[in-house]
Amino acid sequence: MAAFEYRQAEEIRDVFARHGIRYLFIGKSGAILLGFPDTTQDADLFADKSAKNCSALVGALRELGFELSEEQASEILRGKDFVQLKNGPFDLDLIFAPDGIDRFDDAWARRVEVQNFPVCHPDDIIASKVAANRTKDRESLPRLRAFRDYWKSRQ
Amino acid sequence: MDEPTPAERQQWLEEFEAAARRPLEQRMKYAFIKTYKPVLDDAPFRAFDTMADYRAWCEANLPEWLGYRR
Repeated sequence: MAAFEYRQAEEIRDVFARHGIRYLFIGKSGAILLGFPDTTQDADLFADKSAKNCSALVGALRELGFELSEEQASEILRGKDFVQLKNGPFDLDLIFAPDGIDRFDDAWARRVEVQNFPVCHPDDIIASKVAANRTKDRESLPRLRAFRDYWKSRQ
Repeated sequence: MDEPTPAERQQWLEEFEAAARRPLEQRMKYAFIKTYKPVLDDAPFRAFDTMADYRAWCEANLPEWLGYRR
């Protein structure tokens, strides 16, 4: 599996838009879209957990080339909180209930658009990392907070 | 992690400003890398009912050095 590429982010954006999916880039991949200079391995998407959105998501993922069995599709439709996909053209984490963010609608209202990519506000990206509190989150937070302050100073 | 020193903060600021001068496509080319992550990369699909379940699975199954543990 090769690294995630810009053209694949464009494919997500365009296919998801066609399917009417409500989602946000979150985590370090979201921060990178906002301009954070760092490295990461996967794209993380925070998706609205509504039945309509999940149904559209399954179709969009298949269109993107993810090989979802009926059982796997049903897991997405049943409303799992976290789905990890490594059965497509790139690795993708689908997060339906990120730590530190109570409701999708709240994050959606605060979203930032970067070249039509919907991205979580840096405050939400930081809140989710604070709440997740893994070793890798704790290591990245000081620099991420500094970036958030820099980003806000430019708005 | 300890609080950054003023010199570190200055270095970060310079990196942020350099990144801001690059187009998004170039930033992404530098940012996304791929290396094999043991266990995590060994299944094509995983789904967890709750984030707590996912965190517990990470704690129980992933090597500590990957950084997914709390």
